Amino acid sequence: MTILQTLTEKARNIAVRSPWIYRINAGSCNGCDVECATTALIPRYDVERLGCQYCGSPRHADIVLITGPLTARIKDDVLRVFAEIPDPKVTVAVGVCPISGGIFRESYAVHAPIDQYLPVDVNVPGCPPRPQAIIEGVAQAIAIWRERI
Amino acid sequence: MTELAYPLAVMLFPGGLFAIALGLALKGADRRLAARLQGRVGPPLMQPFYDLVKLARKRTMAPDIAALPVFLGAPLVGAISMMLGAAMVPIPGVYAPDPILGDLLVLLYLLAVPAVVLMVAGSASGSPFGAIGFSREMALMLAYEGPLVLVVAAVALRTGSFSLADIVAYQQAHGSFLFDPVMWPALAAFIAFYPANLGIVPFDIPEAETEVLEGPLLEYSGPALGLFKLMSALKAVVVLSLGIALFFPLAPEGLPGLVAHLAKLLVLMLLGVTVVRVSMGRMRIDQAFFFFLKWPLVLSVLSLAAVALA
Amino acid sequence: MNFLKIFARNLINGPATTPFPFGPAWTPERLRGRIQFKLPSCTGCRACEQVCAPGAIRFDKTPEGLRFMMWHNTCVFCGLCEFYCPTDAITNSDDWHMAHASGEKFGMAIREVIPYVACAGCGNKTLSSAPNPVGVEPPFTAAEIEQHRNLCPACRKKALAERGAAS
Repeated sequence: MTILQTLTEKARNIAVRSPWIYRINAGSCNGCDVECATTALIPRYDVERLGCQYCGSPRHADIVLITGPLTARIKDDVLRVFAEIPDPKVTVAVGVCPISGGIFRESYAVHAPIDQYLPVDVNVPGCPPRPQAIIEGVAQAIAIWRERI
Repeated sequence: MTELAYPLAVMLFPGGLFAIALGLALKGADRRLAARLQGRVGPPLMQPFYDLVKLARKRTMAPDIAALPVFLGAPLVGAISMMLGAAMVPIPGVYAPDPILGDLLVLLYLLAVPAVVLMVAGSASGSPFGAIGFSREMALMLAYEGPLVLVVAAVALRTGSFSLADIVAYQQAHGSFLFDPVMWPALAAFIAFYPANLGIVPFDIPEAETEVLEGPLLEYSGPALGLFKLMSALKAVVVLSLGIALFFPLAPEGLPGLVAHLAKLLVLMLLGVTVVRVSMGRMRIDQAFFFFLKWPLVLSVLSLAAVALA
Repeated sequence: MNFLKIFARNLINGPATTPFPFGPAWTPERLRGRIQFKLPSCTGCRACEQVCAPGAIRFDKTPEGLRFMMWHNTCVFCGLCEFYCPTDAITNSDDWHMAHASGEKFGMAIREVIPYVACAGCGNKTLSSAPNPVGVEPPFTAAEIEQHRNLCPACRKKALAERGAAS
């Protein structure tokens, strides 16, 4: 491989150790959001070991955690915020609500599944999923992101 | 040879690459200790380096309404100013900056540049959160620049010179200011000032993640954001080194002096930044503003009076 | 000064972080996780379909038999199906490792068919489901379950009545 390719490969290997996470609440009941928050704040499930950091701005994000069925009220705003996140990014649907609507599946106010509007890469089922399951999903997302960065 | 020394000082040692490596290592140690104090494991020590490499590989997006030259130029100006500043701060026993690079007054102005750059970036990004960050940073800067200038004036009055090399030499001759009771109000004012300058809790109000969605940095991504992180790491090195030079620069010559300097920086960072940041909550902007108008300002005026009378 | 005591305690005791994902994670015994379906125990009563809160369980009549279908990506792991099932056909295991790539989302499903057979008693087409054990005294043995499996509902009524008269 040329020098440039070797350097790029090394840079990718280093860059993959710092995925920054951004949460989008697309009308969730907050159950999954609480579990996502515990992965960062509670010492027991520290997600910062993997180099992750919850960032406050969508522009800083690499891995996007989406919770909630896409309610009709928030749909346009969620799509706008998602468009603000720079590529390369990996999307993780946390909980069963974004994947299929979950328990709100037959509601008139819900636009699930969310992958008819945005590309989703990893699903983490559960209602809500355990923090360990979310960390597992984030680890799979990091493996996918390794290919894209 | 002497003409080559200045660019080398700015780009290699002690500015430039050395300061960047030092600043990022200090930040890594800070995050690790903060996590351990909270009972978590924490990121690896090299995490800030990984963050910068990752940011270099993403792309910078700018909002449509942003003023693009200012938006992209601001972080560059900030990072360069702090690289220059790192070349101006002496490392006692190892490096005495040539007066042609600048003295304490130039360093004061350079220290104001990152805060101004943050303000300008906030307003150039065109977002309302940036505007809030801009106004809060301005209020905070007005509050903490006063004590800083008075402390610097007190030290300069005591030593009779604005040159940092002379201040270090004076303390090596007459004993450091850490043990000089006349300078203790100045020391107290400096201790109150530097958390606000470094942007750590309880004074990280303009860049608060939960309150203003990161304020001025909201619209930044990719290499521009990386430059801001670099600027923040370099500012930590410059401000802490300045504190060491002003109050406790006693160190042996040569390599042990460098090791002593690094050890002092590490201790100052861990005790003065990490423990403070982990144990406190964030103040409101009006609380922070009035806090600075009360104690640090009074202490710094007191120190100036004490030095003038001594 | 309480925070200094907390710092000292945290530094001395070390981090309280569980080693997952670099080590095993502790799972409580009664965790409601992935659904497990045992086809030989299913009576075909469809109670689970009725009580399933998000409608993850569906029964369809196909030419081969009664098809049970359950999709994990809409299951909320409430445990109602396990509670109301008369046998142990549908249970919650404690497996929570269900994170998957989005392309496989329709693969997270259980599809089983209770087949049609010819009745051992009268020869009509009937479902070979397990007999419903609710209220049966004395309880069925394993041999009796197999015996009742291949009978149509009318023949099962007769066999049950004879069994009750005999005991």
